[in-house]
Amino acid sequence: MRGKYLALLAVLFACAAQAHKPSDSYLALRIDGAAVRGQWDIALRDLEFAIGLDADGNGEITWGELKAKRKEIEDYALSRLTFNSNGKTCTTANTDLLVDEHSDGAYAVLRFGADCGAPPPAAIELTYRLFFDLDPTHRGLLRIERGGTTQTGVLSPDRPRFSFGAEAASALSQFFDYLREGVWHIWIGFDHILFLLSLLLPAVLVFAHGAWKAAPRFRDAFWEVFRVVTSFTVAHSITLSLAALSVISLPSRLVESTIALSVMLAALNNLWPVVAERRWAVAFAFGLIHGFGFASVLADLGLPQGALLLALVGFNLGVEVGQLVIVAAFLPFAYALRGSWFYQRLVFTGGSAAIALVAAVWLAERALNVKLWP
Amino acid sequence: MKRVRNLCPALLGALLLAAQVTVAAPFLPRDDAVVLEVLPGKPGDPAAAELRRLRTATAAAPTDAVAAARLAQRYFELALEQGDPRYVGYAEAVLRPWPEGAGTPAEMLVLHGKLRQYRHNFEKAMADFALALEAEPANLSARAWRAAILMVQADYAGARRECELLAPHTTALHAVACTAYVDATTGNARAAYARLRAAPTRDSDRAPEFQIWIQTRLAEMAWRMGDHAAAERHFEQAIALGVDDNFLLAAYADFLLEQGRAAEVVPLLKNWSRSDTLLLRLALAAQRLKLAEAEKYARALGERFADAALRGEKLHLQEEARYLLELKGDARAALAAASENYRSQREPRDALVLFEAALAARDPAAAAPALQWLDASGFESERLRDTAAKLKALKP
Repeated sequence: MRGKYLALLAVLFACAAQAHKPSDSYLALRIDGAAVRGQWDIALRDLEFAIGLDADGNGEITWGELKAKRKEIEDYALSRLTFNSNGKTCTTANTDLLVDEHSDGAYAVLRFGADCGAPPPAAIELTYRLFFDLDPTHRGLLRIERGGTTQTGVLSPDRPRFSFGAEAASALSQFFDYLREGVWHIWIGFDHILFLLSLLLPAVLVFAHGAWKAAPRFRDAFWEVFRVVTSFTVAHSITLSLAALSVISLPSRLVESTIALSVMLAALNNLWPVVAERRWAVAFAFGLIHGFGFASVLADLGLPQGALLLALVGFNLGVEVGQLVIVAAFLPFAYALRGSWFYQRLVFTGGSAAIALVAAVWLAERALNVKLWP
Repeated sequence: MKRVRNLCPALLGALLLAAQVTVAAPFLPRDDAVVLEVLPGKPGDPAAAELRRLRTATAAAPTDAVAAARLAQRYFELALEQGDPRYVGYAEAVLRPWPEGAGTPAEMLVLHGKLRQYRHNFEKAMADFALALEAEPANLSARAWRAAILMVQADYAGARRECELLAPHTTALHAVACTAYVDATTGNARAAYARLRAAPTRDSDRAPEFQIWIQTRLAEMAWRMGDHAAAERHFEQAIALGVDDNFLLAAYADFLLEQGRAAEVVPLLKNWSRSDTLLLRLALAAQRLKLAEAEKYARALGERFADAALRGEKLHLQEEARYLLELKGDARAALAAASENYRSQREPRDALVLFEAALAARDPAAAAPALQWLDASGFESERLRDTAAKLKALKP
């Protein structure tokens, strides 16, 4: 009889236990005011057990089989995850079905949103019941990101609830979050950097008698840089604020194309100077359009309704800090090398030509909405 | 519209590389035919059909004790075969109408106890088995499991007592197997090996699962005594029985690794990366052979331990200690894991991991409990004794 010999297998197996990763789902939430955005990774193995995915019974789950069950999966999962605030249940809606690989196999990735209505509630409580009826050892591994802070928790049949504040963390930490985003976005925003560089490259030179020569004094170079950076900053701060507050809005294709044009013109101006004296005016004029570009990034991040101004100032300051770091790295280097062939030919002329070329490609891409760059 | 887009991939690539390594990105599969997951078991397997039938029966009548016990038992067996704890959870759900406690039938209590020991809840499991024996003094399973848990806890006198209580109710082979396991751990390996080999096999002993157990034990005893040819023979006989067995594969892989035969481990385990215990052996083999996959296996293993920590469960500390020591080269962390493991599990291989971690960390004091055990038990194993001797020689 089976039971008898299995009894003795005990001796063998007592410590072979837990050889395998147990059933977990990964629930990641991002809180923005009253809106909860979630990504929920659920193992295909578990979904197969709960609702059956392998339609043709061949022991393999294909993307086609998974997609065919999308509605059922969403209904099954989302009905087992509820968000409550002030005694009301928030409405949950699924937006996407994707796939991801975790260390123990493939997972269905459900992206969803939960809306708890306005005004933002002080606290939201989630209740998690996925698979607990079928497998009490299942756990939901929860990760909540809110205003730059991350909280984690484990949801189990004994502790299926988790409460979190709906308001973003403190105003100060929110301010710093947006500041950080601002720094980051100037650093990865190559068109802004190249525009700025195009205007800064000639700052350590003077144009006289049809040729560029090394600027004689650091003070002059410094003030030139100062004027350029300040006017660029003032200009893009104005339009960034106006766009973020929805006072003005421009079509993004126009904005992006004009930004590319500005980079190209600024670089070409170094090769064939048209404006050699008043580059700050160029920086100001085109800075206005770059501000709209920053605003689109800010719109992607989402502005907290409760702390609009704070976020705006934080983001703007972040952009300036990021800019200053670039300038601080550039100026001593450029000034030291300004008289050399390396700087005048390679960095200045070569660099400007390269920037103009890159910007021309961008301009074509953005204006014609095609992709030339790999 | 993010500024990142398609602008300058070469420059951006360098910037974003670090971020991409740590952040797994969900994706949309290219077409419907992409296979995302291969389920365990073979299609058309009669065992799978039987499982489906039991599930349907239990779903229709959740309080049918006969069907529930069979389904829970089947899930438990699957957990052992595949090393997948999901099945233990499924079994617990099936047993919900029969909570642990007095008044519950012995069969259900034994199932509860088995599930609890699987999750290393040894105290509660012992209590479940004791309750089952109160209800049914001749319950063999409860008796044998108590012996097993006492062995894990290195309570050899207690284990021997359970074996003696078991003997009158079972076959000679079962009785010999129980005492031989205790004897082989307490300094009488040679005699225990001979007795287990010579014990008569009745028809009721012929089930492949039990035969695998016998052969694996014999292999371990022979290995311990240094008779590697005999150990190899027993392992091969066990494998030839053709039943998936996570524990057998782990023991055989350890044997091969110790013999410097990592190349044989890879084909043996390459389809078993789901199992944490076997993935560890696979990663070790790949590392020794300097295979391209080595890093991938080690990373996957690290992710699983991180997930377990997130869950707040530390049930495979022995493997985690080996991972930290042999794959990450972090002797201090390995020693911490091995020490914590030894507090709840005190089998010879738990002691070996603790010795090796303590040796690498040059901290013999941390291995004191296992050194005491080695002296007191008389356990025969050249490797363990060598490692212990090196550890003692470290003392200032």
